[in-house]
Amino acid sequence: MALLTITDLSIAYGLADGRELEAIKDFSLTLQRGQIVGIVGQSGAGKSTIGKAILGLLGENARISDGEILLGSENIARFSERQFGAIRGKRVGYIYQNPMTALNPVLSVGEQLIEAIEANTHRRGQAARDHAIALLTSAEVSHPEERLSKYPHQLSGGLCQRIVFAIAIAAQPDLIIADEPTTALDVTVQQAVLGTLKRLALQEQIAIILITHDMGVVSQMCDEVYVLSRGRLVEHGATARIIGAPRERYTRDLMAAIPSVDEKRPRFDVLDAFEETPGRRRGIDYLKSGIASDVGQTILLSVRDLSKTFKGEKRGEGFRALDQVSFEVIAGETFGIVGESGSGKSTIGRAILGLVEPDAGATISLAGRAIASGDRKGLSQRLQCIFQDPYSSLNPRMDAGTNIIYGIVAQGLVDRRSARVLAEDLLEVVGLPRAASRKMPHAFSGGERQRIGIARALAYRPELIFCDEPTSALDVTVQAEVLNLLKELQESLGLTLVFVSHDLAVVRQMCDRLIVMKAGQIVERGSAEQVLTEPGEPYTGQLLAAMPRVLRSAEPS
Amino acid sequence: MSASMSEPGLRRLEPFRAIFRGYPAAAAGLVGVVICALIALLAPVLAPQNPFNQNELDIMNGLLPPMGEMMDGSVSLLGTDAVGRDILSAVMYGMRTSLLVAILSVSIGMVVGVVLGLVATMRGGWVDAIIMRAVDLTVSFPGVLLALMLLAVFGSGVDKVIFALAIGIWAQNARLVRAVGLSEMKKDYIAAARIGGISDLRIMFHFLLPNAISPVLVILPMAISGAIVAEATLSFLGVGVPITEPSLGLLISNGNDYLLSGRWWISVVPGLVLVLMVLSINVVADRLRDHANPYLQAKG
Repeated sequence: MALLTITDLSIAYGLADGRELEAIKDFSLTLQRGQIVGIVGQSGAGKSTIGKAILGLLGENARISDGEILLGSENIARFSERQFGAIRGKRVGYIYQNPMTALNPVLSVGEQLIEAIEANTHRRGQAARDHAIALLTSAEVSHPEERLSKYPHQLSGGLCQRIVFAIAIAAQPDLIIADEPTTALDVTVQQAVLGTLKRLALQEQIAIILITHDMGVVSQMCDEVYVLSRGRLVEHGATARIIGAPRERYTRDLMAAIPSVDEKRPRFDVLDAFEETPGRRRGIDYLKSGIASDVGQTILLSVRDLSKTFKGEKRGEGFRALDQVSFEVIAGETFGIVGESGSGKSTIGRAILGLVEPDAGATISLAGRAIASGDRKGLSQRLQCIFQDPYSSLNPRMDAGTNIIYGIVAQGLVDRRSARVLAEDLLEVVGLPRAASRKMPHAFSGGERQRIGIARALAYRPELIFCDEPTSALDVTVQAEVLNLLKELQESLGLTLVFVSHDLAVVRQMCDRLIVMKAGQIVERGSAEQVLTEPGEPYTGQLLAAMPRVLRSAEPS
Repeated sequence: MSASMSEPGLRRLEPFRAIFRGYPAAAAGLVGVVICALIALLAPVLAPQNPFNQNELDIMNGLLPPMGEMMDGSVSLLGTDAVGRDILSAVMYGMRTSLLVAILSVSIGMVVGVVLGLVATMRGGWVDAIIMRAVDLTVSFPGVLLALMLLAVFGSGVDKVIFALAIGIWAQNARLVRAVGLSEMKKDYIAAARIGGISDLRIMFHFLLPNAISPVLVILPMAISGAIVAEATLSFLGVGVPITEPSLGLLISNGNDYLLSGRWWISVVPGLVLVLMVLSINVVADRLRDHANPYLQAKG
């Protein structure tokens, strides 16, 4: 008998105006003991809703309108809150996206793990403690005994997630629902953490439903995949079949949007139509007339001996975020800055953009002239930035058009009336309709907001745009669209881009040359082609090896 | 319903109506607030007499109980005080003074507090330190004591009462705006504005202010009812508004001497009106705050 059988499940959310929104429509899934299946789809597809339904964690405004969820032989779709209490954590475990928030910050991880053991098994006292150490060992936590007395903030994200695994398997559940378990982790740890999860599942014969947007993760982990779009099952089947020969257009697009670290393609093969409207042409002309596109071997940006020390709490104590970083960016190229979180890559940008004051001795010059950090206005027309988080990078109290043109109007670069038209033209340049100009930021999706952010940066007609992980908060298909847009703009305008990312595959698709950062220092530099195919430094090699790759060869693992 | 909704004016009121639908107490409070505001605005038209025009007063009408008949044959609905002043009229004029003092003091306190809070957020460093220590100093005095001290120094008068109350109000607003402002400052749209060469002044008023003002607006009605009560306290203690422009608090104080001699109406009527007015505002404020809260949380 199957462990879990979902048949024709439909879930509806009640909206404020009394209507209902069907989040899930006729979803079916079968899961055998010890099997790992993936549910993939873009954000908003309803992946997490299914996971929550299995645990009875749907919000009060959601209801299962049709279908059944059989756990063994019981239909848990009709369970009461009390009945769910008996299966949650015990028969069905849950692993959250962010381990830092899943653990209680005021209890040591040992207390939390032992609590889970005592709640679910007959082990008490020393026996529970011994079992906790055994669980941590099998979750591949190094020095398990020392870790027990630590608090979550003292441990890295990867370690915390391993501890969450240990807590989840403490109850020896039949099934674990893992909701984007590695999305919040660095790539280098992601791979290892996933490996642990898979090994644990095999060893303990626990079935896993892995909810993810990452096809690389799916190809590494799952036996079967269910592809979900807007609450509907698009197709499902063995992982190798879905990846090797997707039948549906949606799945094909999903695959085409995945950047490859092994080969560079001119564009992602996704649908993105730019209509050549008069407005768009006007926008492009405006940008062309202001952006000097003398592509050649001229050095546009030169950074010499850039260091940044952040002051510590106590006198004399400090944290060196950047240590003697020097590099040059050539006009018209895309220059990559690669590294894990905490490597100082964003700090470089903040120093160049004048948001942080570098330590004495640094020289940053643009087209041969040193940048004066006091000259905010003059600098704004030469350097711009595209931010990582599209949800905080727009002023929520201004409409999209005003967000784009506020700065150039405030500086008197264009008059108020023509600026409004310009905003609409620029929206068309970045692939949004003119009417978007009047809408407020909250009415847009993450990808659309990112386009507005790009339009705002372009409005200044800068020589160089600093892209600070511009797509890391976006879905893979939206990422492909935004990256295509950046490539298109660069080609038609001759823009110079500095592209910061932790994602080597994205960097491979975007960059001509790059530097690899580690702990505030440059460890390797060179052409993207050369560094990413024949890394000269072991660290770069590690980063490369850790990248999840979609195994396109159709061989089952 | 659908026909009236098509009126553009009414449609604009629709979100406002939705706030109070299903909350009868809050809706009643809203009616109370509107009535109080209308009475205060229209007191000269509505009141049977001008209670502060000496020529209209007659000592012979003194201390009439409610429904008592005056010398000219008219009926005094809520009685008269010792000098023959019609209590109903006095209360209507008193509401005018009470509301005026409260609204002006809160407005001044709010504007000053918000601006200083924004400056502290934007400038940081020693500017922030000085402003915030001034806030700490202000809030460490009990509000009424602070106002008493100020009025003792500057003397009494409507303008001085407004000033004294505003001193107590600016500090909490400055603190609130700074707290929200600091979390907004970390967001990328502020960094984008800086990179965009936008001046600090514009960032302060066009970026920070609209994003940090909501909690201040949420406590605004509460602050007004608080100010009404504070003013009444000061007037009752005899350091508030002058006798020529009595507020509700002063009217209560005037009737205090007659309370034990059975002339209860002189104090009790303005007292009840004060309670109803403050209660109405508080009920409405409570509803507005609950309504705004999910948005405040969702914004984080």
